[in-house]
Amino acid sequence: MVRKTIRIVNKLGMHARPATMIVKAATKYRSEFRIIKSDMEINGKSIMGVMTLAAEFGSELELVADGVDEKFLIQEIIEMFLNKFGEE
Amino acid sequence: MKKIKGNSVSIGVAIGKAKIINKHELYIKNKKILKSEIKFELSRFKEDVKFVINELDKLIQDYTYSKENRDILESHKLILQDPEFNKRISILISEDQNCLEQAINTYFTEAIDIFSNVNNKYLSHKVNDFEDVAYRLLSHIKGERKDILEDVDENSILIMENISPSFVTTVFDKNIQGLCTERGSRNSHSSIIARSMNLPMLVNTMGLLGNIKDGEDLIIDGNDGYVIISPTKSVLKKYEAICKKEKNIQKGLLSLIDKESITKDGKKIKLMSNIEIPQEIDQVLKYNSTGIGLFRTEFLFIDREDLPTEEEQYKIYKDIVEQCKPNPVTIRTIDVGGDKLSNILNITYEQNPNLGCRGIRISLQNIPIFKQQIKAILRANIHGNIKIMFPMISGVEELLKVKEIIKICSKELINAGITFNADMELGAMIEIPSAVITSDLIAEECDFLSIGTNDLIQYILAVDRDNQSISDYYKPTHPSVIRSIKLTVDNAHKHGIKVAVCGEMASEKEYVKLLLALGVDELSVSPGRLLLIKKEIINCDIAKMKLKLEKILSCKTSTDVDKLL
Repeated sequence: MVRKTIRIVNKLGMHARPATMIVKAATKYRSEFRIIKSDMEINGKSIMGVMTLAAEFGSELELVADGVDEKFLIQEIIEMFLNKFGEE
Repeated sequence: MKKIKGNSVSIGVAIGKAKIINKHELYIKNKKILKSEIKFELSRFKEDVKFVINELDKLIQDYTYSKENRDILESHKLILQDPEFNKRISILISEDQNCLEQAINTYFTEAIDIFSNVNNKYLSHKVNDFEDVAYRLLSHIKGERKDILEDVDENSILIMENISPSFVTTVFDKNIQGLCTERGSRNSHSSIIARSMNLPMLVNTMGLLGNIKDGEDLIIDGNDGYVIISPTKSVLKKYEAICKKEKNIQKGLLSLIDKESITKDGKKIKLMSNIEIPQEIDQVLKYNSTGIGLFRTEFLFIDREDLPTEEEQYKIYKDIVEQCKPNPVTIRTIDVGGDKLSNILNITYEQNPNLGCRGIRISLQNIPIFKQQIKAILRANIHGNIKIMFPMISGVEELLKVKEIIKICSKELINAGITFNADMELGAMIEIPSAVITSDLIAEECDFLSIGTNDLIQYILAVDRDNQSISDYYKPTHPSVIRSIKLTVDNAHKHGIKVAVCGEMASEKEYVKLLLALGVDELSVSPGRLLLIKKEIINCDIAKMKLKLEKILSCKTSTDVDKLL
């Protein structure tokens, strides 16, 4: 299991497009993927789940992947966050 | 009587009854199922979701070329593929013994509830997506897909929150008076189609849905940008008169569909269409246009984050070319300012974009992208008659480069064993003053010229027409503009090639006679204006107009020219 904490750095926060990008990327992997924000925990492969996070600029998320390709999954997702989902 | 302001995206007056299209109203039975039915209900769920996903895939391929629309449909697909969605439906069916319809309805009602209450403006509009998907799925399960537009008749004015991309074709297949949407923009597909169909349409009519009941009397004033709900008798009377007049004109024009565009003194003028998106082809064919004089290809490139592939472009060009056959389709290679492509290309900030990297300059700086477009065009030319045209040509130099690239593309296609047809006419847009001045040299290198009047006027008079404070300086009849057109036509004719005008000047009826007298051979206008311009051509006596031309050419100001027109 891999755990990583990340802060949202794109200005618009976790709106529809980043949510779509995350789900699409995560679905490619076999590992389970969950995202935790304070008291909320959702399935990172569920568009409904990721969107209900409605995480805003500056808020902190914990990413948890568990499975054979967990490292690659986390790596790809982290890169998306760092690239600010292609915004700006 | 209530009046609501909106933005007109297609002019004209429409009078009718409001038909509110709330496509999410479906009657759902709350039925419990037997334990023995669970298996069947679950398999039904699988099948139906699969069907709708296939349907979405088809829509993504067929109807939407803009990145924005594709994104919406892609996100709809994700909603259906959501593992939590599958889990929850399975529980609702096998544990709570809900029938499939009820299970789906419960899930989406919960989802819509969550998003309606979320305090994030980027997410609250996701409600629409969930409503859309729920409707698509449920209507398929219930076999009621066509119901929403069932009691729409020719008296209806459709009122919608927005037209989703999956709905555009269905709406325009109906015979209606007009439409209003609470959201939307001038450049959306639905607005473009409404314009080419001459169907009055308003967008951004804020608060309309809250102020209107189904079946209420309604007027769309697409000329001034108003919706009028339950008009008083006198207002209704006023608009009936306008509407009648507009309808009579339109009826008169429709009788011209099969008439040839020949002037009174017998000169045949080729009258073609300008199109922005492939869906406009229906109107082009309906109005019997003799081909496409300007197919803008920008829609393929803007509003997206990736580039269209050669294959994607080939398919789109092929489709249009086949439908227009044997008439020509003039494809203009990409013509946008770099700012519009900043998603895809590395564009540096330009202080003066109108004089910056745009049109052919973008293509020549991004050869791989340009080559993809050229190859797609060469390949599509097998299926019909393509003419290729290049924007923002400033002189012969760009043309020579372009020709070289076409040669390279042909060679590469041969080497790859891909069939194509390099036999096509090649033309330059004349829109930069230097191209006018050297039009004799350019004509030597081309098979035709096409004058883009909008940019030509802007560059000749050095005036940005979107700048309100100087818009008075934008004068289509300025002597410099008229002389430029004359010089271009004369030079082209000396070299035995034809000249088309595809800018807005060709679409304004007061300028048609002038352009014909100047010797312009072909006009290309938006499909909605075709018949209006055809009427002008039929009523034009070029010989007579040429006598007037002497006077026009000696005018000192555009005011003097306008007096003579």
